[in-house]
Amino acid sequence: MVSDTQKLIISPSPHLKAKDTVSSAMRDVFIALIPVTAVAIYFYHAYAAFLIGVCLVTAVLTELLFKKLQKKKPALHDWSALLTGLFVALLFTATSPWWKAAIATFIAVGIAKELMGGLGWNRFNPALFGRVSLIILAPFFAYVDSWFAPLAPYLGAVDVTTQATPLAMLHAGMEMPPLGQLFLAFPGGALSEVSPFALLLGAAYLFYRKHITWHIPVSILAVVAVLTLIAGQNPLYHLFTGGMMIGAFFMATDWVSSPTSDKGKLIFGACIGILIVIFRLGLSPTEGVAFSILIMNAFVPFIDKAMKRPSFSEPKKQSQAS
Amino acid sequence: MEVKTFQGGAHIPHYKSYTEDKPITRLSPPKEVIVPLLQHMGSPCEPLVKEGDKVEIGQKIGDSEEMFSAPVHASISGTVKEVGKRTVPTGGEDDCIVIEADDGPQEFEMKQIRDPENIDLEEYRKCVREGGLTGMGGAALPTHVQVKFNEKVDTLLLNGAECEPFLTCDHRIMLEKAEQLVKGADLMMRSIGAKRTLFGIEVNKPDAIEAVNELIKDRDDMEVVSLAVKYPQGFKSHLIKAATGRDVPRGARSAELGCIVRNVGTTVASYEACVYGKPLIERVITVSGPKVANPGNYIVRIGTPVGHILAECGVEDLENHKVVLGGPMTGLAQPHLDVPIVKSTTGVIVLPPEMTREWMEYTDCVRCDKCVEHCPMMLYPNQISVYAEAKMYDAAEEWDLMDCIECGICSYVCPAARPIVHWVQRAKPEIQKRQRSRK
Repeated sequence: MVSDTQKLIISPSPHLKAKDTVSSAMRDVFIALIPVTAVAIYFYHAYAAFLIGVCLVTAVLTELLFKKLQKKKPALHDWSALLTGLFVALLFTATSPWWKAAIATFIAVGIAKELMGGLGWNRFNPALFGRVSLIILAPFFAYVDSWFAPLAPYLGAVDVTTQATPLAMLHAGMEMPPLGQLFLAFPGGALSEVSPFALLLGAAYLFYRKHITWHIPVSILAVVAVLTLIAGQNPLYHLFTGGMMIGAFFMATDWVSSPTSDKGKLIFGACIGILIVIFRLGLSPTEGVAFSILIMNAFVPFIDKAMKRPSFSEPKKQSQAS
Repeated sequence: MEVKTFQGGAHIPHYKSYTEDKPITRLSPPKEVIVPLLQHMGSPCEPLVKEGDKVEIGQKIGDSEEMFSAPVHASISGTVKEVGKRTVPTGGEDDCIVIEADDGPQEFEMKQIRDPENIDLEEYRKCVREGGLTGMGGAALPTHVQVKFNEKVDTLLLNGAECEPFLTCDHRIMLEKAEQLVKGADLMMRSIGAKRTLFGIEVNKPDAIEAVNELIKDRDDMEVVSLAVKYPQGFKSHLIKAATGRDVPRGARSAELGCIVRNVGTTVASYEACVYGKPLIERVITVSGPKVANPGNYIVRIGTPVGHILAECGVEDLENHKVVLGGPMTGLAQPHLDVPIVKSTTGVIVLPPEMTREWMEYTDCVRCDKCVEHCPMMLYPNQISVYAEAKMYDAAEEWDLMDCIECGICSYVCPAARPIVHWVQRAKPEIQKRQRSRK
């Protein structure tokens, strides 16, 4: 028999809830990065693993510190700090000084995310913001590096780091490695640049899990392909080198810092594509993708407002005839 | 078969297998009923009886002279125990008439008093008014207001979509009372002066589609419109859009839309009110949930306390459960079991702790856009939720918060578990206040 003392739950409708959570989505992005991380570790052994470890630990500590400073509950379970840490690590070369990667992670998680109001309020992609901050702070590091240099660990010989990156080779007009090899796995550049194939594998998983849509990556890649073709270059080399793949599929598609509507996403992606080509052909090729995405991040609120679709209840304009 | 639908919306697990094959049966009458004097949108009734009065089943016990109102009737024979405040399903307390059952027979005698083939339409309209008919699908508009002759209305659209999870009462009504439904629709269509009747039914009820089709195969003014299984297909605006292709701009009246939407249960009840003189004293509800021992589609009397129904259906343990009146997407969770069933109650859904939570811990919007993708009103629940949470009502209004139909899809899909509908409900009166002061 039902008794009067039993506690009934009361809360606003709806009373059902889909299973997806922010944590499960972030964890899925983490899973999607496993293939490229594995290839990076295959090429750079302990150097890659060490750098990734430093960034993950820094990310967690930074989140804890900033949550404490702001008197908020830590939200490590949402995976977003760890994910930002991994992203930052993948944007560095394997033999980059670890303190640079750590500071970039600190800026990404602490400033670009937490100080902006936490996950959801960051207008810029935190990982890219952290990475690019380091480039801007380069003169400062030229000075600081000498203090930290003795702290660089020796983790064995890695011969693949001495050669020019494919992107630099492309810019210098050097003879390029075969396309197939570039696509599958080829060392050089940042950890994330080692294998467009591995990144696509991860992206396919994100598509499958419906965390990203085709609009942003396709518009970026299509615009870059067309413009570089017009410029008389082989577009495939542009697509398979540098931060193009991780940028198009993982960074530009970041939920928080990309536009809402499909049309907005297409405009956002196309503009990023144009900027990337300007950077690559006209300016410095390194970090062109990162700068392009960050620049467009700033425009997202404008794109969202301009692309607002009419409500279902919006009266349709009367046709002239009636 | 052509299947029609609308843009947006979502596929939500429908949990209808608990009850969709259960024929409609009658629950035993309760020892007392609590009949609220306001069970519809509009003006409340004045009580026509006082404490100690004897009442007969079907007797009118409350009425109003206002146009937007519908009388209420005794759903059991007995003695008026109290006229006073009781908890009602919409939350809070309101005036109710409490009747204690006597020991006599408690069935309304179904005696044909009018020839269904030969009914005067003016008499039909009077029966609908006197029978206390209101919308039985959710929005409880007095039905008599909408059966008047209206030359601008060409279509009567019968709502058999039943898109809310768990609910199957309309499904069973269409299946078991198809004949009354079609006859009732015919009456209603002629009363309004409409040219055609469309039966909008979701394709997950093929037996209901078949039953209705069989009865209307010789009529060229009636047609079944098969609808995709998608929430919120049964909401008026989306049903009109899907079935007729017409737009439903904000504030549009039936005449401007050329279309009147009626719930199938209401249509059958209107027919019974006219042919048998039976007022709206009982209705079919779905009692369901994974832990309900005897889920089913039951005829219950208006005013039956939820506790009586759950006891009859073998619900034992309710600790940390949620008892929802209506469907789980838009229904209201009830604080206790003395709340009565009213004319617009479609079901009693018991959700165990693992299916629901007290107040989900929510986080900030991460702009995943899932709510935007699924919003059937083409709104931006993400923006609305941020502004409504912060009580920035001007900005929320700019993002069309007032157009929200509170279907709950946004909160359902939100990975951050944000109570968006709750904030919208809080914001609406505030924005209305501002709109009035601007005028």
